[in-house]
Amino acid sequence: MGSVAGDDKEMTTATSNSPPPWTGSATGSAQPSSFRRFAWRILAIVIGALFVYAGVLKAWDPVRFAGDIENYHVLPWAVNVRLAFFLPWLEIICGLGLIFRRLYSGALALVIALLIVFIGASIAAKMRGIDISCGCFGHVSDQLSFAWHLVLDFAILAGALALWRWDRQPHRADG
Amino acid sequence: MRALLRQSLLILGLACLPAAGEALYLRDKVSWQSPIPASEMVTVADARGWGSNAIWVDARHEEEFSNEHVPGAILLNGDRWNDLLPQVLAAWSPGKRIVVYCSSVSCGSSREVASRLRKEAELKNVFVLEGGWEAWRETTKK
Repeated sequence: MGSVAGDDKEMTTATSNSPPPWTGSATGSAQPSSFRRFAWRILAIVIGALFVYAGVLKAWDPVRFAGDIENYHVLPWAVNVRLAFFLPWLEIICGLGLIFRRLYSGALALVIALLIVFIGASIAAKMRGIDISCGCFGHVSDQLSFAWHLVLDFAILAGALALWRWDRQPHRADG
Repeated sequence: MRALLRQSLLILGLACLPAAGEALYLRDKVSWQSPIPASEMVTVADARGWGSNAIWVDARHEEEFSNEHVPGAILLNGDRWNDLLPQVLAAWSPGKRIVVYCSSVSCGSSREVASRLRKEAELKNVFVLEGGWEAWRETTKK
């Protein structure tokens, strides 16, 4: 009994001394607070949702998207049209991976790779004097200027890279 | 790292499945080898040969059209589609051929305008000019 009482006491002491979960120091400084963890989750869901949205718009009209890729003048049409069928579904699956935390690391790595390719291709096309519609969000993005496309892409890339860094920290061992 | 690679490859593979399904479903509606089927393209020489049977449609921006255009061409682009379409319809009559052009071989607006003329205005004999305005200028210089 004594030992039990002692354990209880220790437990009570430990509990009363425990900082609230949102302070981020419950089990050492490496443990993230619930709030921060929640914020990162929200960021992953937002980026995932953006990718799902962009993917659905393009999967709805792959021929139009093939025309958008064609406008970059990087690849031959036969490749562009096949990419136009594949890329939207890749975006959708990556987006769902981020939202539901399935195949998360792979999805995040592919999202980052896709964004780098999109940004690189857009800048390269602009430098070559090609007036492009990036096609990033299907017809919805037609009214967006090149600068706004870049701002949007860089913002999403920054968010994805932050998620990547967060995911690689030791406290993410909880998976 | 291996897990990351495995997950990435799995996602790439997963994306192939719906993509292949959609491609199979739309296989007859897609031109797989060229953005525009050869039957819908026309060279400058052939289009000029049609003479008054050809209606020239300029799919570039209004400023470019104002600077210079194919003689007799009508402006029609996505910016003011509803305003400009009636002019094309007024010029059209059965048996006439519509030749749509934009700035160069690389622009896509002539393809889009031609496609809309076929689908929305239900016009037949709509062609895209090979090489666009640049090709026209080169040909007329000679």
